[in-house]
Amino acid sequence: MPESENNVEMLLSNKVSWLSDSGPEDDIAISSRIRLARNLEGIPFTISADPERLANTMSAIQVAIRKAGCFNLPLDFNLIKLKELDRKVLLERRLISREFVAERYGAGIVVNRDEDIGIMINEEDHIRIQALKPGFQLREVWEAINAFDDNLGKELPYAFDNDLGYLTSCPTNVGTGMRASVMLHLPGLVLSGQIYAVTQGVSKLGLAVRGFFGEGTENLGNLYQISNQSTLGESEEQIVDRLSTVIRQIIGHEKNARQALLEKKQEFLLNHVGRAYGILRHAYIISSEETLNSLSALRMGVDMGMFSSVDIHTVNELFVIIQPAHLQKYAKKELVSEERDVFRAALVREKLRTIDKNA
Amino acid sequence: MLCKICNKNPATIHIQEIVNGEKKSLHICAECAAKKSQSDPVLQGFNLAEMLYNLSGQIDMTQDEEHKEELSSAEPQNLLVCEDCGWDTAKFRKTGRLGCAKCYQVFREILTSALKNMHRGAMHVGKRPGGENNREAGKLMLEIMNLQKELDELVQREEYEKAAVVRDKINALKNNG
Repeated sequence: MPESENNVEMLLSNKVSWLSDSGPEDDIAISSRIRLARNLEGIPFTISADPERLANTMSAIQVAIRKAGCFNLPLDFNLIKLKELDRKVLLERRLISREFVAERYGAGIVVNRDEDIGIMINEEDHIRIQALKPGFQLREVWEAINAFDDNLGKELPYAFDNDLGYLTSCPTNVGTGMRASVMLHLPGLVLSGQIYAVTQGVSKLGLAVRGFFGEGTENLGNLYQISNQSTLGESEEQIVDRLSTVIRQIIGHEKNARQALLEKKQEFLLNHVGRAYGILRHAYIISSEETLNSLSALRMGVDMGMFSSVDIHTVNELFVIIQPAHLQKYAKKELVSEERDVFRAALVREKLRTIDKNA
Repeated sequence: MLCKICNKNPATIHIQEIVNGEKKSLHICAECAAKKSQSDPVLQGFNLAEMLYNLSGQIDMTQDEEHKEELSSAEPQNLLVCEDCGWDTAKFRKTGRLGCAKCYQVFREILTSALKNMHRGAMHVGKRPGGENNREAGKLMLEIMNLQKELDELVQREEYEKAAVVRDKINALKNNG
């Protein structure tokens, strides 16, 4: 089996560290993520480079990554050598962007075995470093990715301008080239009808709100990703601090909303959570949308202490592995939508049954 | 994904609105966004869209295809070309992306005001490549920028005595740095 394909199998046997480890505030904040965009000096950006140039850039970056020794256990992926399904697995694990699923020449990634840090090569920019940690710990993520970037920067000359900072293909990223985000699980605010006010407020502060599964998917699983929009005129620390202040407030609102539901609408809350658990434990056919929304309710129930036997990290993991490409890899064959719904229901029942036995 | 209005260009602008709790998305290209912003006052209130409109508005001052050609032949500054990578105004307008580092100089005029609308300032104050020295330089620049902001505010409030103190501080930092 070729190396890239082999590495996908290795990832699948892995537990995703940012989903299966504990982190601060992880009842509401699922993960913290930062990405840095960098380009190489004297080489045209990806969008205007020819295939030969892209290939050369990729090998230069791969060599530099080895020399810098910034990964503990690097896994290399040459995306063009992967089947589309395998590329979708990488997307579902948030290791690559949607643009990278399409066949692209000279596109690659290098990922740490733990999936806590990785590099996309020749995406919109030559280099996109991303780092992830479980829970709400943007500061820690920044420290990790900053050190990593220092190391890599010793081996590669970055395109940098004294006034404009790190030069990126899209002017919306110029300066720090940094996008910091926190993934929040906000079922309390959704159930109590306050989510609209919160997301509007966040937008007014110049921050962006997206769903876990990309733009326009906020209603799936009540997962909201809050990130900075501007990258110029503020230092990385300032961006992290500004974002963190807002995140802390949203977490506070979510806690209040959950508490209010518990005090004033207890039957409604128990019914919502209990039904979701019933569906997940006993359904034989289930769509991904219904699964995500039921998982969201179950996760809230676990956070609020209604299911002492259910492990929060298994619920987190299910958010990722019930997606189409993962299901088909587990099934070891292609599945059409209807087949996936059956396979998905079986996988969820199995996972939740295992947890219950352990209790 | 193609632009939902012209169905020709790739959609580079994705707008989301929540109207009465219902979400609406719109995927359009820079050209149609510029047109739409003139006809749709509701969309003008949208933060991200607004800054992108400003970007496309800066690049495309004309309203229709014929006009554009006339104008571009009459005014060569509308057809900038980067000699390093061959990127030009049209490609920039279509993709919203630049072709290489040099493009930042080539398209500087267009970029300057667009960047101001997109970001919280026009100067990079964050990390710099390589070592502690550069990081110190970054901190110094950040301090100067914060003082500059304070100075502007004081001048606006006509508190000139305080402003003079801040100005001296800035000069001292600049000379020592």
